Amino acid sequence: MDGMDGSGTMTERHRADKPNGAMARRDLFRVAGLGVGALGAAAVGAVGAAPTAEAAPTAPATTGYRETDHVRTVYALSRF
Amino acid sequence: MVVGMEGQRSVVMSADLAQDNRDSAEVAEEELLRAQVYGLLARLLRAPPDDGLLAALADLRGDGGGFGDALNALAGAARESDAAAVAAEFTTLFIGVGGSERLPYASYYLTGFMNEKPLAVLRDDMARLGIARADGVTEPEDHLAALCEMMAGLIGGLFEETTETGDAAPVGLDGQKRFYDRHIGAWAGRFFADLQTSPSARFYRAVGAVGEQFLAVEGRAFDLAA
Repeated sequence: MDGMDGSGTMTERHRADKPNGAMARRDLFRVAGLGVGALGAAAVGAVGAAPTAEAAPTAPATTGYRETDHVRTVYALSRF
Repeated sequence: MVVGMEGQRSVVMSADLAQDNRDSAEVAEEELLRAQVYGLLARLLRAPPDDGLLAALADLRGDGGGFGDALNALAGAARESDAAAVAAEFTTLFIGVGGSERLPYASYYLTGFMNEKPLAVLRDDMARLGIARADGVTEPEDHLAALCEMMAGLIGGLFEETTETGDAAPVGLDGQKRFYDRHIGAWAGRFFADLQTSPSARFYRAVGAVGEQFLAVEGRAFDLAA
């Protein structure tokens, strides 16, 4: 799956020799700063803060638009 | 904006994904990282970050490259922002009164109108892959947040497609590339670039840079794998 054949770890091998697709991909991500763990806690934060379909638009204490039950009722009654 | 699998799994799939596959040998680590970036972009495009996510973003340390630089800038923007201000910015950018500044929909970017053929094509692909809109979500499925969630799901092996032999199999890189090319590659980079020049964008300017840099790497990586 990752193109390694067990004869050596990736860092030991000469990547420049003839990189196959998977290895070249991995190198590209690494060089671009997309190394493993690059997101750190933010990845976890994104998970932990992920709202449900209901909760997403109703974050409290904002002055922005919120689709409350009342708004939904208005939409339903006006048959948009 | 929340997309789930058909049946009971009407959840934010990208969110579950990052955790479900943490121990899975099925997904290589750099592929998991891709899924996490898609998940983070989806999260930030779906709703403004709360204090907890802002704090996590503030701790980001880029690891070189254009993407690393963008992450550092995002961390800086997170440190200078508070949740209320970002929420107001989000409203101006994406919701607006009498029209938002940015419409992150594939159909809009590709045709100039909402709900045009790109959305229909996407719905066909979603049906083929067994992806359904979560209950209670009314936005069109071609919102970039939903598309990012779908990419994260494809990478994590949440969805299956029927192979030539008639078996159901997780969507491999070729299938991911097909989905990306059809629904994301042609326009999302442009959207992220536009986001960076939006008059009201502050925090989201940094989000746009992260998205643009990430998609540039994605596009090159798909070409390598092809």
